[in-house]
Amino acid sequence: MKRALYLLSLLLLVSFVAVGCGGEKKEEKKAEAPKAAGIKIGSLSPLTGQYAADGNDIKNGVLAAIEVMNAEMGPLGPVTLQAEDTACDPRQAVAAANKLINEKVTAVIGAYCSSATIPAAEPLMAAKILMLTPASTNEKVTESGHKYMYRTCGRDDDQSKAAVKFTQEYLKAKTIYLVDDKTTYSQGLADNVEKLAAAAGLKVLGHEHVNQGDKDFSAVLTKVKAAKPDVFYVSLQNSAAAAPMLIQVARMGIKTKILAQDAVYHPQLMELAKKDAEGVFLTFGYTDKETPAYKKFAEAYKKLGEPGAYSAYAYDSAVAYLKAVKAAGSTDADKVKAELMKLEFEGASKKIKYKENGDSGSNYVIQVVKDGKFDNFWNPETGELYKK
Amino acid sequence: MAPAFHKAHKHVEFFLQQLVNGITLGGVYALVALGYTMVYGIIQLINFAHGEIFAAGGYMGVILISWLVSQGYPPFICLSVALVLAMGYCALLAMAVEKLAYKPLRSSSRLSVLLSALGMSIFLQNGLMLTQGVYDRAYPGEMVQGGFEIGGAVISYMQIVIVGITVLLLVGLNILVFKTRIGKAMRATAQDKTMSALVGINSSRIISLTFAIGAALACAAGIMVGMYYGSVRYDMGFVPGVKAFSAAVLGGIGNITGAMLGGLIIGMIEVFAAGYISSEYKDVFAFIILIGVLYFMPTGIMGENVDDTRV
Repeated sequence: MKRALYLLSLLLLVSFVAVGCGGEKKEEKKAEAPKAAGIKIGSLSPLTGQYAADGNDIKNGVLAAIEVMNAEMGPLGPVTLQAEDTACDPRQAVAAANKLINEKVTAVIGAYCSSATIPAAEPLMAAKILMLTPASTNEKVTESGHKYMYRTCGRDDDQSKAAVKFTQEYLKAKTIYLVDDKTTYSQGLADNVEKLAAAAGLKVLGHEHVNQGDKDFSAVLTKVKAAKPDVFYVSLQNSAAAAPMLIQVARMGIKTKILAQDAVYHPQLMELAKKDAEGVFLTFGYTDKETPAYKKFAEAYKKLGEPGAYSAYAYDSAVAYLKAVKAAGSTDADKVKAELMKLEFEGASKKIKYKENGDSGSNYVIQVVKDGKFDNFWNPETGELYKK
Repeated sequence: MAPAFHKAHKHVEFFLQQLVNGITLGGVYALVALGYTMVYGIIQLINFAHGEIFAAGGYMGVILISWLVSQGYPPFICLSVALVLAMGYCALLAMAVEKLAYKPLRSSSRLSVLLSALGMSIFLQNGLMLTQGVYDRAYPGEMVQGGFEIGGAVISYMQIVIVGITVLLLVGLNILVFKTRIGKAMRATAQDKTMSALVGINSSRIISLTFAIGAALACAAGIMVGMYYGSVRYDMGFVPGVKAFSAAVLGGIGNITGAMLGGLIIGMIEVFAAGYISSEYKDVFAFIILIGVLYFMPTGIMGENVDDTRV
């Protein structure tokens, strides 16, 4: 009897594990066993925790790039990937970077959160390893004077300019209310927008800081509702954080226009917030899914799931690095750097051409969520709507 | 005069809205806090795996509700069937955890059981991560839509459902503990395990039952949190777990009424601190109040002279 009971309880625990039937299993591709020969790339991104969706996008983007480039690498190949988890935590990011140094990778694609990228860069730079970030938009990333630091995405100072221009010229707003979740990226960006908005003559009604991982925003939203701003600027670290915010905005009957930023650009936003995501504006790089480069990327990415915000940027980062390695004929950091500076090609995300400080320029436009999809909406350069 | 009146009216509106938010949040904390307090009351164990039961409940809810909705059942049926089934599942899960991780250690030191609880928490959380993935999982929409306005405060039907279910469960629990023979046996075991065993109460079964009831309540809270915020994630149990545990301590650990009160207080402080001071410091205020209360009342708000009502 007693034994039967133990058996039963064990079975129950196992059944808990077997409930997995409903879970979404994304395809995971293991890097091949590391060999002495070939090129070993590392990736740093949050593979667990609340930013896991974005982190896996980056890892998958690199995998897609490896698949495309492997055939072209000739005697330098094969290319393998060592993916490490930062969990978006500064300490874990540094530990992961040190691990990649020990594993003798020659370049690192990552990280996602600026607050992980900035500290992880220190040991990598000291070890003369190239770092190409596909997603960290905080200005400081390329402004620390690191020699081997490159950025494929845009910068937050440019992003905030686009956001304020849109607020003023298209939405014709007089007042703005801001919220961020206190990360290097999200608060840095919201602070930029606040400064620019105030300088442009907008009235800043409030700027709230919530905690990372918060799901209940009712108290903040009650304040927003009472303040009645023309625009509500939402700067949260990713789409999984923004979705509950949008749900609660709709539930509380707040009709204010919402402007968000690049971090919420992810199909997950519509999956979680559903119709409450409709009509949300956000700043993101201009995306054209019809270019040959994007189609090539989409083809390679197909079996890895749906591309997220930074999949294409991670893909372009890895492709850029591998192209430079091929041109240099070696993985020596200085030789590859020289080739990277000469490189110019049409990437899946945008035209890739690195500048002296490692940036590659911003191409922020305003996008909107329409019928469950992101769509280019307004061009801050010309002040015109995109035609569909 | 008119603007002054308008301003005062706006303040009332703001206060009412925060009150509604606080009650919703506090109710959820109260449900989770009960599991901590009941288990502590009966075997003096801080059950760290309780937050994970809450998360497992949230996941079981999303699996069941998604399936029921896809079968075309009306929302009311989906919700109640899913709630009952998931609560049953969580109860069994918690009983299994107790049998495997706590019962064999019943005669060893309290520290070993505590470590076992910590290990169980990590095991369950990782189990959820491995089987359900690291991504947020969306609850099916259109379950409970809309709301209404009273004096400028918006109350959504979702909040009504949450508060309604919470009150129902709390009343049910009170009846179970204070009006039934099982409840009497639970109270007796909490007071003196040896003595109650001598008078013929199967204390093992009562302890098991206590775990089951606490888990069922946490499970209901997990489902409601998932529906309210639209999604669940494998690590969703940690933060509410800590808050609910604080609520149980604040109310006087081991005391059922105290846990309900503690949950409500923590929820209210959080919402009002965020509303009137800053959302940045809401957790700080919740814990300052906790420390303040414990400084003056080391056994918590309800922790004294209610020995005969504790479980």
